[in-house]
Amino acid sequence: MDHNWPYVAAGYGITAGAVGAYSVWLLARLRRTRRSLPDLPDLPHLP
Amino acid sequence: MNTIKRVPWLGAAVVVSLAATALMALVIAPSDASQGDAQRLMYLHVPAAWLAYLAFAVTAIASVLWLVPRTRSITWDLLAGASAEVGVLFTGLTLAMGSIWGRPIWGSWWEWDARLTTTAVLFFLYLGYLALRRAGGSPDARARRSALAALVAFVDVPIVHFSVNWFATLHQQGTVFNAKMQVEISGTMAATLVLAVIAFTLLYGYLVVRRMELLRLEEGFEERELARAIAERIAQESPEMPAGVEMETV
Repeated sequence: MDHNWPYVAAGYGITAGAVGAYSVWLLARLRRTRRSLPDLPDLPHLP
Repeated sequence: MNTIKRVPWLGAAVVVSLAATALMALVIAPSDASQGDAQRLMYLHVPAAWLAYLAFAVTAIASVLWLVPRTRSITWDLLAGASAEVGVLFTGLTLAMGSIWGRPIWGSWWEWDARLTTTAVLFFLYLGYLALRRAGGSPDARARRSALAALVAFVDVPIVHFSVNWFATLHQQGTVFNAKMQVEISGTMAATLVLAVIAFTLLYGYLVVRRMELLRLEEGFEERELARAIAERIAQESPEMPAGVEMETV
């Protein structure tokens, strides 16, 4: 086995971790925001 | 409220193309004759760098479209912000992958080389841009200062790209877009690189669409919260006019 494999594993692991963490954060926040919007009552038009 | 159309096929395409890229890059593509398996990091490093260019170009174009009165729309400002955020993620990954690749090949995690240094500057410029977007002020003031900052920051993108031609650097010349415009990769390696670029571009599109959707929802949320606070304040000052009553707009 090539002695460079640990670097390859680290590179692919870091990329998967960073992209995965950002995607999970983004989708969770999107779901939370979507859910919280209907809780707000319709507002009167302001004069 | 305008909502960005959902794109369920895009999410599936991202997952499938990324899985195919991982299979090609780690299993099917041969190892490099001189660099060995470390060269497999190219299938992450190059697409991430391409996305950094693309993301900041989209941010710059959207900023121009916001600045031109005839095309001004909040959508351009949201696109600029979403694209810059995803661009910072991929610029960070470009630097990280370059560093991990450099250790076994150059024997060093970091060199103050022209390409590496200008890329690091790019990363911090757009971190600053994102910080500027979070500073207070009206949506218009935010969009204006962000658009101007995006155009200033974009000056670094061609400097990063041409740094390997302008300066004597440790970093290699471009494999595809080099001074001679001569593609220096072929066969399975080239196919894997093309697939990786497509997969990362789809991922960029998916993340930007979702981030724009979130920004738009948050923008609407803040406006509604502000309107509710104003309505409550008006109701407190005029007890005879209860909150929630429809009033004529002047």
